[in-house]
Amino acid sequence: MAALFISAENQIQRLNFLMEKIGSLQSLPIDMLTSAPNTQAWSILEIIEHLNIAYGHYVDKVSDALNRAKPIENDKEPFKARIWQGFIINGQRPKGQTRKWKMKTMKRFEPEAIDTTHGKDHLGPTFEQFQHLHGHLKEAILMGRHKNLRHMKIPSAIGSIVNFYLPEAFEFILCHAERHLVQIEETKEILSKKEL
Amino acid sequence: MNDDAFEQLCSFFSEIPFTDAQKVGFRALWSTTEVPKGTLITEAGKIERYFYFVLEGVQVLYILDQKGEKVVLGFSYAGGPSGVFDSFIAQQASPTFLEALKPSKLLKINLDAYQSLFEQFPEFHKWGHHFFREVLFGRLFREVEILTMSAEERYIAFMQRCPDALKVIPQKYLASYLNMKPETFSRLRSSTTY
Repeated sequence: MAALFISAENQIQRLNFLMEKIGSLQSLPIDMLTSAPNTQAWSILEIIEHLNIAYGHYVDKVSDALNRAKPIENDKEPFKARIWQGFIINGQRPKGQTRKWKMKTMKRFEPEAIDTTHGKDHLGPTFEQFQHLHGHLKEAILMGRHKNLRHMKIPSAIGSIVNFYLPEAFEFILCHAERHLVQIEETKEILSKKEL
Repeated sequence: MNDDAFEQLCSFFSEIPFTDAQKVGFRALWSTTEVPKGTLITEAGKIERYFYFVLEGVQVLYILDQKGEKVVLGFSYAGGPSGVFDSFIAQQASPTFLEALKPSKLLKINLDAYQSLFEQFPEFHKWGHHFFREVLFGRLFREVEILTMSAEERYIAFMQRCPDALKVIPQKYLASYLNMKPETFSRLRSSTTY
């Protein structure tokens, strides 16, 4: 398997795209945001909630590791992910518009039922929280450009069975979100066809 | 902005015959920003909000290739303009990054203020014509260099016109700009006179 090289600039570009894309979903009709394509699937809003829950597990760990990391002066070369971590990251990464290896979500990452009886304005906090949390991720990636992250290790959200160096963690979180962005596009398409 | 900075800015817009009163209004449209080395002044995926004039420092404009590696498109430095012009004018997400390679001091103007200059001063159309002609000719010249010259010829042509400010930035950026490997750039630097 080819080595996975990770660069902060690449992550920032993708994260900007992701944040813009999720932000633009807010203009969709409420039915499109809150309807699930089938009883087993999530609605778009639930997918965004899931992303908020997932990154919520990393916020303190990322902040703490960044605070401990030492500043560096020199230009950084791309970070080479370790083999096992690279494998896990690439397992999340969507291939084009396809999600590989669909998996069951652990209970603690499942979104809670969203009250939709108060109209669309009531859904705003989910989007705001997404922008807030992923704004934190972006700040962390930007700060990390000026710090030595080579030895800053954090446990993944599923526990210390998988640990990441910070650049690996950022990449995993991004790939996970990109995977769900594909799911959102699939959901939009299915719901649009149902309307027809 | 101090008087010296304003004088530098006015000399960049030397075609515009400002009256003293107009100069006051023109000056008020600009603000100063200072960024440390390594700052991403403009990020790919975001809309460029400003047109910049460089007072100090060197900035690099680059795009990421499919492997995520930086491909340098150009540099900006003291006395000249900076920014991602296509994103600024079209107000569309920038495909490129603008990064400070040295601590940088810049004057900036937003799009509304920039456009108001063309409405207030007809001479700005002449300035705009000259400016974008220079940008276009520069890009065409570079395209010809990249497509027709050998690495050594590109190196010599670049070093002959290269301002001193660019000679102190990391070689990998110059090498990328010249579409060659850093090792090739290093070899040419030690073996070629220009």
